[in-house]
Amino acid sequence: MAKRIRLAQRVVAESDRLAKDLAGRFNRAGVFVANLMGSPGAGKTALLEETARRLKGELRLAAIEGDLATDRDARRIQSAGIPCRQINTGGGCHLSARQILDAIAEFDLAALDCLFIENVGNLVCPAEFDLGEHCRVVVSSTPEGDDKPIKYPVAFHHADCVVLNKIDLLAATDFSLEAYRRFVRGLRPRIPILELSCRTGEGMEAWLDWVRAQRRTAAVRV
Amino acid sequence: MHEVALAQALWRQVVCEMARHEGRRLLALDVVVGAWSGADPESLEFALGLLIADSRWPDARVRLRREPLALVCRACGREFQPEELNLVCPGCGGLDVDPVRGRDLRLESLEIE
Repeated sequence: MAKRIRLAQRVVAESDRLAKDLAGRFNRAGVFVANLMGSPGAGKTALLEETARRLKGELRLAAIEGDLATDRDARRIQSAGIPCRQINTGGGCHLSARQILDAIAEFDLAALDCLFIENVGNLVCPAEFDLGEHCRVVVSSTPEGDDKPIKYPVAFHHADCVVLNKIDLLAATDFSLEAYRRFVRGLRPRIPILELSCRTGEGMEAWLDWVRAQRRTAAVRV
Repeated sequence: MHEVALAQALWRQVVCEMARHEGRRLLALDVVVGAWSGADPESLEFALGLLIADSRWPDARVRLRREPLALVCRACGREFQPEELNLVCPGCGGLDVDPVRGRDLRLESLEIE
């Protein structure tokens, strides 16, 4: 006889469980973990390179790079002076908690202050997968247009910090800072919006201060 | 973009539940796709169809239900369904809102024999 079985199970339940495990490890080690997401070319790697150059003497940093192919980004980060592990996802559109679990095996988490996870360049899929991070950072840039927040609301709604890169190119685009801020705040009223240029260094100090503040909070959790 | 992976994860849950309930035949599965789940219902249905056709229960039907986004206002507690991307609370004008429904992709139930 036919019968109905009620389940109401989230399909990503297994992934959520792994993410919770990761979050526990990060907290026990007292390392601040940020998950960076954004379109390809927004400047996620450039932001990490600049962060590495400016903060490596002050904080113990490491990074995990997620890309479909090549280790180009990991080598860039290593050249900036911090340890970095590359994950190639093949066709995968996002990093998974399982991949992060494997990647952190190479790091002594307790010997780190900050771990940056650069997700695969994509504003859609990475937003769905928790990696046990403390904060999600959306990196966007002026040439992408000011309407990205309302076109990709899930990523922005789940962010803890928004970085707007390439403000040195503002004059060359139709980008409206006012519209961009309004769109972001409409989705996340109190979120910090850090406007900067990795190329000229303008605005970088505010980003570094944000990282420092988050790192202090993470250290208190231990 | 990752519907195949999601369909595979969903199907693993189905197979697991079938074993747990000692089901001989899978008649249908009910799946809820939230508007903000990040999954495209059509691609998901297509991927599930392939997995089902290749399974022990090739006649199983997929019943897919779309769940609209519902938000709750942190300030006044009102629950509402936003129109377009107007996420402002219609009760108090508050901007601090959390999704209560429409975030998940869920395996809701199975009909088995």
